[in-house]
Amino acid sequence: MEFHVLYRPSHSLAVCNLNPNETVRAEAGAMVSMTRNINVVAAAKNPADGGGLKRLFKGLKRMALGGESFFTNTYTAMNQPGHVSFAPSLTGDMIVHQVQPGEQLLIQGSSYVAAPDSVTIDTKFQGFKGLFSGETLFFLSATGQGPVLMNAFGAIETIDLDGEMVVDTGHIVAFTAGIKYSVVKASKGWISSYLSGEGLVLRLQGRGRMYVQSRNPSEFGATVGRMLPPREN
Amino acid sequence: MQHQLIDTPDFGMLQITFDQTGEKIVSESGAMVAMDTAINMQTSMRGGLLAAAKRKLLGGESLFQNTFTATSPGQRLFLSPGPEGDLRAMNLEAGQNFFLQSGAYVAHVGEQLVLDTKFGGVKGFFGGVGLFMIKVTGPGTVYYSAYGALHEIDVPPEGYTVDNAHLVGFTEGLTYNVRKFGGFKGLFFSGEGLVCDFQGQGRVFLQTRNAGSLAAFLQPYRTVKAKG
Repeated sequence: MEFHVLYRPSHSLAVCNLNPNETVRAEAGAMVSMTRNINVVAAAKNPADGGGLKRLFKGLKRMALGGESFFTNTYTAMNQPGHVSFAPSLTGDMIVHQVQPGEQLLIQGSSYVAAPDSVTIDTKFQGFKGLFSGETLFFLSATGQGPVLMNAFGAIETIDLDGEMVVDTGHIVAFTAGIKYSVVKASKGWISSYLSGEGLVLRLQGRGRMYVQSRNPSEFGATVGRMLPPREN
Repeated sequence: MQHQLIDTPDFGMLQITFDQTGEKIVSESGAMVAMDTAINMQTSMRGGLLAAAKRKLLGGESLFQNTFTATSPGQRLFLSPGPEGDLRAMNLEAGQNFFLQSGAYVAHVGEQLVLDTKFGGVKGFFGGVGLFMIKVTGPGTVYYSAYGALHEIDVPPEGYTVDNAHLVGFTEGLTYNVRKFGGFKGLFFSGEGLVCDFQGQGRVFLQTRNAGSLAAFLQPYRTVKAKG
């Protein structure tokens, strides 16, 4: 199984080529097209998620916390090769990170797109809810071996960290678990943190690789959202 | 008439330079970016009031179209589609058909070119908004746009499936069937709802972004109406 990312960076499309009977698991809603021999199972079994009802509950919990539909579909090429293509909702790039054995990649919830079965996506909630903005942050953990496809709003920058950096919560895409994170105020006081427009940020410490996106979805959503007519509920 | 597709693929625009007086190009309303002031622009309802109203209601396509006519050689005209993304031209021989999702139509050249909005009919209607197809029959050139990149696929022997919201158009020689997709999908605002299965020999054109997903992303950011 391999991912090819086309039309980078603005309007990326990821084509996932599958060998006969290979499977890829992807966030529901990301599928653009596929060959007819692909068998699709909706809200499919994630080994880390347990049985049917439990999976549904976990999906709903993630939606409530992450503000998005985090259900995964599985796509299996039946008996012959096939492909599935995926695209994100917003303008921007996609990137593939190769998870190595023994490594853990923490992915910001809405940045995850797809991965093969050889990569376990642990969907345990380990995020927090922003105090000021109401924005939420949660991470998925990817372990095992194989490629993970992620999307970004805008361009993706890869930063190799050895030390400490602060990253805006709206700009983080993913980082390897050699990096420890804590959620901190952007500046010393609560008021100045709020006024700086940064609110809460991630302090990342350690050694590893991180990916950041050049635009912030919450900023964009807030800018456009307040121009739209109010919704009923 | 010379045409050039500029600023592709991210922000495609059509640049027309007229060679002779009387040359014409027709576009959907609102597509004009800039033009020489002496170019004659006429607004009309294509196919009369009823056909235009139907297109607006079913296809989300604009009610009006504009015809630009050169009044002297060398005049320039720029046209662009609404969404950011690619812009392409399709040259059609006499009698050759091309099927376009109605929102993807930008402009056409050729007095004999036929845009059949009745095509798709009930099938297109039940396919949901965005799968109201128009049948374009040559001779002539039609210009069409994509939200995002334009991805072309030759339908393989086993067939090909496309999310409705990502479908831009397809060539003749294909049959299609719309069906629901994804079990939990109906529960939520976003996610694929309907897909189109293609069979036969031909080419399918896809766009790599779709307006529905953007709307779904923005939905939670709208303010909530005060109660009472």
